[in-house]
Amino acid sequence: MIRIALKMLFGDRGKYLMLISGITFATLLMAQGMSLFCGLMSWTFSTMRNVRVPIWVADPQVEQCNDNKPMRDTDTTRVRSVDGVAWAVPFFQNLSMARMQDGTSKMITLIGLDNNTLIGAPTKIIAGRLEDLRMPNTVIIDDFGVQRFSESRDHLIGVGDVFEINDREARIVAICETHRSFTGGPYVFTTYDRAVQYAPGQRKMLSFVLAAPQEGVSAEELARRIAAQTGLAAFTHSEFAWSTIMWYIRNTGIPINVGTIVIIGFIIGAVISGQTFYSFVLENTRHFAALRAMGASSGELTAMLLAQAFLVGFIGYGTGLGFVSVLGINLLKLGKVPFLLLWQIPAVVGIAVMVIVAISAVIGIARIVRLEPAIVFR
Amino acid sequence: MSILFSRLSFYIALAGLLFAGSLVFRLSAQDPIPQPPHAPPANPYSHAVAAAGIVEAQGENIALGVPVAGLVTGVYVKVWDNVTPGQPLLQLDDRELQATLIGQRAAVKVAEVSTDRLRGQLLRLEKVTDMRAITQEDLETRRSDVQVADAQLANARAAVAQTEALVARLTVRAPRAATVLQVNTRPGEFVIPGTAQSPMILGDLTYFQIRADIDEQVAPRVKPGMTAIGFLKGDTQRPIKLEFVRIEPFVVPKTSLTGGSTERVDTRVLQVIYRFLCSDSNPVYVGQQLDLYLEE
Repeated sequence: MIRIALKMLFGDRGKYLMLISGITFATLLMAQGMSLFCGLMSWTFSTMRNVRVPIWVADPQVEQCNDNKPMRDTDTTRVRSVDGVAWAVPFFQNLSMARMQDGTSKMITLIGLDNNTLIGAPTKIIAGRLEDLRMPNTVIIDDFGVQRFSESRDHLIGVGDVFEINDREARIVAICETHRSFTGGPYVFTTYDRAVQYAPGQRKMLSFVLAAPQEGVSAEELARRIAAQTGLAAFTHSEFAWSTIMWYIRNTGIPINVGTIVIIGFIIGAVISGQTFYSFVLENTRHFAALRAMGASSGELTAMLLAQAFLVGFIGYGTGLGFVSVLGINLLKLGKVPFLLLWQIPAVVGIAVMVIVAISAVIGIARIVRLEPAIVFR
Repeated sequence: MSILFSRLSFYIALAGLLFAGSLVFRLSAQDPIPQPPHAPPANPYSHAVAAAGIVEAQGENIALGVPVAGLVTGVYVKVWDNVTPGQPLLQLDDRELQATLIGQRAAVKVAEVSTDRLRGQLLRLEKVTDMRAITQEDLETRRSDVQVADAQLANARAAVAQTEALVARLTVRAPRAATVLQVNTRPGEFVIPGTAQSPMILGDLTYFQIRADIDEQVAPRVKPGMTAIGFLKGDTQRPIKLEFVRIEPFVVPKTSLTGGSTERVDTRVLQVIYRFLCSDSNPVYVGQQLDLYLEE
């Protein structure tokens, strides 16, 4: 029976393609929307993805990692004085303007790493040496910075080139690979003391304290302990990442916009495939009636319709995901568009597609089970 | 089912799924937490108070002062010299006082000569035995003349001694045994007392002294006699064992030198003094910064 159902389905090539393209399109819209959302959200905590440490300590008002509510310098030693802290180092982050030699200005995210240990330094250095950061007036820029800073030059900016941050010289000693930030500026890494010199002076300059637990102490437990003993806010990596994401969800229109795309995708998919499937059932009514006349039961006919619907769903879904992946890989190569395909996305989209095809099948089934065999002769 | 496997669309869908799966796998790979590029100073104790410290010479550094403003005509020592108490370090210009001395010494000569003359006259008068030849009045006058002349001579000599003392003051000497840590002046420069930059800094390097700043919020946890370990900035592998000296009874505002025109005051800090013996194997210099852990 299933074989007959499939033959019926593949028999009309035009209708078959129409059915599949409906599901493909719905999958594409939903998965792309969700990937865009996840990508955008992953950009919000890029600083944390570039600076990988177990614990982040900040002012108690801070909710997300792009926030800058500076603390006092001695707060580093206060964190060090908490039991179970293996090490704690100062960390500086702010948005600054970089001025190129030709006078153009670019916004940058300035990062200041602990002078001694360079904890949080980029791990993927593509040119130059991290160690050279110990020389005076030196910085490390990322690959995106190379593009951005070279926009008005005839050749790419590289190791040894010089620009200015707040009228102070910044010499590039290395180029690294980073995750792009939500605020859109490239990352510029330097040492903490130098970053404080580059940035406009404020009474307090310490953005974060980065810490790690001693062996045998869990990061979660230590974060609670630091918060209790110092009165500062302390987060583990994942806590801070989620806190950042939730902040953007609460405070920006991104989830509503993307949610709308996903819902539109679902509706379009449901309407197109529901309609096409129903007209497919209508066109094939004669065949179903013939089968019924030959003695097929309602159960068998239902199974046939379900097989057809879910096969269409599967093929449309697979093709759609393929399209999304190709699109995603090209977007990632381009580097300018956020895209992150988590395993949850295909799962959720899969369930949505199943719902769409189930609805379509139910409409068809409702018609077929009430079918009189006599309709063959009409 | 063979009818399904003969369809191209089935394989397209399958390829799409596999492709998406591999992309999901690729994107979900998280960067592991990397090792710090340089090992940070790790807390060696299970309970400890952390502090930031600075290296000083034993009994603190001596920022040498000068008694008066003046031109430097000689610098007798250089950095790393070990000086003994009283050893000359600096010579200030004494020409003005030397000029005064010329006049004053001449005045002594005048006073001496005049005393001699008056004393001679008195002597001659006193040798006269015939009391009728001289009046008693005359003799008394001569005697008091000699006394006045003596006093004038003493005065002239005192003036010379005074000026010589002032000249001696212009040679700045070492107040105690120490090592010359910094020389900020050279012959020909003008020095003024009480300026921020001292012309010379001395320090006793038998022991190094660490001045540890402890945030006032952690200060209640500090007890006298706590053992401590220090790590020099830039050297986290060689801990330095420190000997407790004292807690400073006076809490001071902590300042961070920003290099700007204003220094910002963060918080107040309790200062604890530690010391350690210097050794050639682990060179330490006055003014270096340390990260300290004080064991609770």
